[in-house]
Amino acid sequence: MYLAMQKYFSQKIAREIKMNANFSSETAIVGIGATEFSKESGRTPMELAVEACEAALRDAEVDASDVDGIVTFSSEQNFEIEVARNLRIPSLSHFSMIPHGGGAACGTIGQAAAAIFSGSANYVLCYRAFNERSWHRFGSGVQGRHAGAEAFDVTFGWTSPFGLLTPASWVAMFATRYMHLSGATSEDFGRVAVTDRKFAATNPAAFFYERPITLEEHQESRWIVEPLHLLDCCQESDGGQAILVTSLERARDLPNPPAVIASAAQGSTDDQQAMRSYYRDDITRIPEMKLCADQLWKNTGLGPSDIQVANIYDHFTPLFLPQLEEFGFCEKGEAKEFLRDGNIEMDGQLPTNTNGGQLGEAYIHGMNGIAEAVRQIRGTSVNQVENVENALVTAGTSVPTSALILSQDH
Amino acid sequence: MNRDLSQANETAETASEQTHFYNSLTSEVGSAGKIEVARDSVSEPVIRSWCDAMSESNPLYINQDFANDSKHGGIIAPPAMLQVWTMSGLHLGSQFQRNTEDSPSAGVYQLLDEAGFTGVVATNATYHYNEVIRPGDLISASQKLLDVSEEKTTAIGMGHFVTTETIYSDASGKQVGSMEFRVLKFRPGTGKKSEQSEIKPPRPKPASNSSTDWFWDACNIKELRIQSCNECTNLQHPPAVRCLSCGSVLLDSVIATGKGTLHSWAIAHYPQVPAFDYPLIVGLVELEEGVRLVSNVTNVELEELEIGMPLEVDWLNVDNEFTLHQFKPVHNENQEAEFENTETGDSNDQTFDSGQNNPETESGQRQVLKLDLDNVQIGDELPISPVPVTTLLIVSTALATRDYQDVHHDPKAAQSKGMPNIFMNILTSAGIVSRWINDWAGSEIDWSSIELRLGTPNHPDDTMTLSGSITEKTQHGSQVSLNIAFLGKNDRGVHVSGNAKILLPENSKGD
Repeated sequence: MYLAMQKYFSQKIAREIKMNANFSSETAIVGIGATEFSKESGRTPMELAVEACEAALRDAEVDASDVDGIVTFSSEQNFEIEVARNLRIPSLSHFSMIPHGGGAACGTIGQAAAAIFSGSANYVLCYRAFNERSWHRFGSGVQGRHAGAEAFDVTFGWTSPFGLLTPASWVAMFATRYMHLSGATSEDFGRVAVTDRKFAATNPAAFFYERPITLEEHQESRWIVEPLHLLDCCQESDGGQAILVTSLERARDLPNPPAVIASAAQGSTDDQQAMRSYYRDDITRIPEMKLCADQLWKNTGLGPSDIQVANIYDHFTPLFLPQLEEFGFCEKGEAKEFLRDGNIEMDGQLPTNTNGGQLGEAYIHGMNGIAEAVRQIRGTSVNQVENVENALVTAGTSVPTSALILSQDH
Repeated sequence: MNRDLSQANETAETASEQTHFYNSLTSEVGSAGKIEVARDSVSEPVIRSWCDAMSESNPLYINQDFANDSKHGGIIAPPAMLQVWTMSGLHLGSQFQRNTEDSPSAGVYQLLDEAGFTGVVATNATYHYNEVIRPGDLISASQKLLDVSEEKTTAIGMGHFVTTETIYSDASGKQVGSMEFRVLKFRPGTGKKSEQSEIKPPRPKPASNSSTDWFWDACNIKELRIQSCNECTNLQHPPAVRCLSCGSVLLDSVIATGKGTLHSWAIAHYPQVPAFDYPLIVGLVELEEGVRLVSNVTNVELEELEIGMPLEVDWLNVDNEFTLHQFKPVHNENQEAEFENTETGDSNDQTFDSGQNNPETESGQRQVLKLDLDNVQIGDELPISPVPVTTLLIVSTALATRDYQDVHHDPKAAQSKGMPNIFMNILTSAGIVSRWINDWAGSEIDWSSIELRLGTPNHPDDTMTLSGSITEKTQHGSQVSLNIAFLGKNDRGVHVSGNAKILLPENSKGD
């Protein structure tokens, strides 16, 4: 009761004072569309991208000719101009590509919202589409990468000669230290995987539909990079996911209930490195995610208790835990207790990754998590949480990252 | 029906041919060839070139004054040279060309060559040393064919093992030593693909540019450097183009002490990149200067990894092209052991840095753990010693052992015989193991025997890491003998394993 009242007042305050004159709650997600998620799509990434965008436009009942903006993020091989050409989008007045892969997923929505709020575009498509399973496997990392003189290559010079070549290996270094300082165990990481797979088991769109796992299976799965077991790692998927953003005003004229973009934020902080920010004082924290959290709470006036459902980036389970801490769902080092108490399950305090997450549904670099938050706001998720007012989504960790909150339109 | 019959006949004929072939291979088993007398007597220059090639520095072999004062009263030949003195040498087409047709093994080799078993690798050798050999001795050898195996399937290829025994005597006819020797004569191209063509690719080179070259150049001379600011003394890693503390462009570097602690780690199991051995330990090392860097942690068991454990820098030479920093645990449990300085003379020896039993003093000077004659125990370990295998090492040692077989110096010839590249000969494997044991045991011990089993060949750019421990200690009267079990591994597997028996000086207690 107290929580409900607190929620009511904080939302009311948020709406009334329009925190910080930002573009909080000025825009909304009006369409989501995806291809099937598979191990082998059997078609090109461009076909996947165009199919996903077409599906998002159909979902929103918006014509491609109205789209005038595209925001993607790096690793995307389907250039916006080619997607626009295939969709017969006549002109683009805003287009951008955000760096750092999965860390940018929520950033695409934020930059789309900014473009719309600024007037540089009216309808902005954001998408991710690839064959990261059947073509070049994303998880193979920087194996065989040329030892060139470009700055990006040179940063890998500090790690690749020692065999730290894959995303799993980069993340493992954080995980060991986190376990050491927090007392979290491999089983705690396993709880994330088990919950993800439990949600995936009831999601027909999920890679692992009807295939839940037990904690024992997690513990027995082979090592990938200690302390990460196989079942701590999401599996690369083929597939595409697109999201259509417009102003809240236009959204209200469209058929779907608007998923209001209460706020979206990006973050990069001290001595930031790509995947390997190993040189900061405390490598068990995610300060760039804290920066996103601070912005979201500030821009919306909301707090952790105002969030009914979340999609927490889970490419690898260990970094799920400190994200809970950075958003204040628990104290530093106490995410393990939060998990042990069942708080991320359907009947817990914060049902999380109700689509199965990237571990269970598909690894579409966070875009499918945003789509799930939209369904939770609309009330159409296969694992629908009751009375969702606000849904939190986070993007890829250990890189410059982003996060957003979607809310009901009132 | 007729066709079946003719096929059956062909099969029977083939079987019969095979039996006939094998019978001819074994017809000389048990017989001995004529006694071969060495072309030249044992001489100091030949000993010295062998010691140079092997990096053997035992003064009994090369230092006249030292040897004169020793119990031997003069220079002696390294026991591991036993086989060298009667090698046929290089005198192609000369009147001195040795007639080997009388040797029963030569006849077998010829039959096998003609049947397509043209590849040859030595697989086992056991040397017994009965008497010390000295300059001036004229050694003769008498070889007996002990066995020719049936056709075997091996990793290198289909082939026959040929085993011989050779008795070595001096001019008076006294036996000075013996050798049991086994080679595999194989059919090139019939081995496992992995053995034939899988040459391990090098590690990824550190990507670098003119802003970071100084760091890697320093590694190449085994200096670990940290970027430093000349204005505010800030230290930072990875390097940047400005001081991350004060913004200064006046950046320099300082040499790190190489001491640090393990801040975090990851053990890679999958995917496995051919350049590395798995499980692969990668550590995040916090240097005592306060900066961190990523490096491998070596000389440590997985279960010994512990955050906060003290580490010190070590160096890995990659294909003689670049040097990478590595870190290894600082071990303190051998403090009571006796250390002795050793000079590292040539460039080859510099890279013979040993592993965990080879601590450094505070000044960073290399120390080698020596055999403590009075306190030797079963289970004592010899210092781990990585031996970089270079083309120079393979060729110079082959020549120093008077082994002119083309597979030890000519890559094309080696390839035509089913090997990916030239490879180390067995006399050198024996010589290097002996040299490593001498480095540890000193010049007071005597050699009794050494037995070697050869596995995967040593090719250029391999690193063979020697390790071993004392497995037996026996006493006969006042004589204490030790058995040392040893292993030399390269990246593909075990190159050599076996046992060496040495005798301690009679006045030592051995415990």
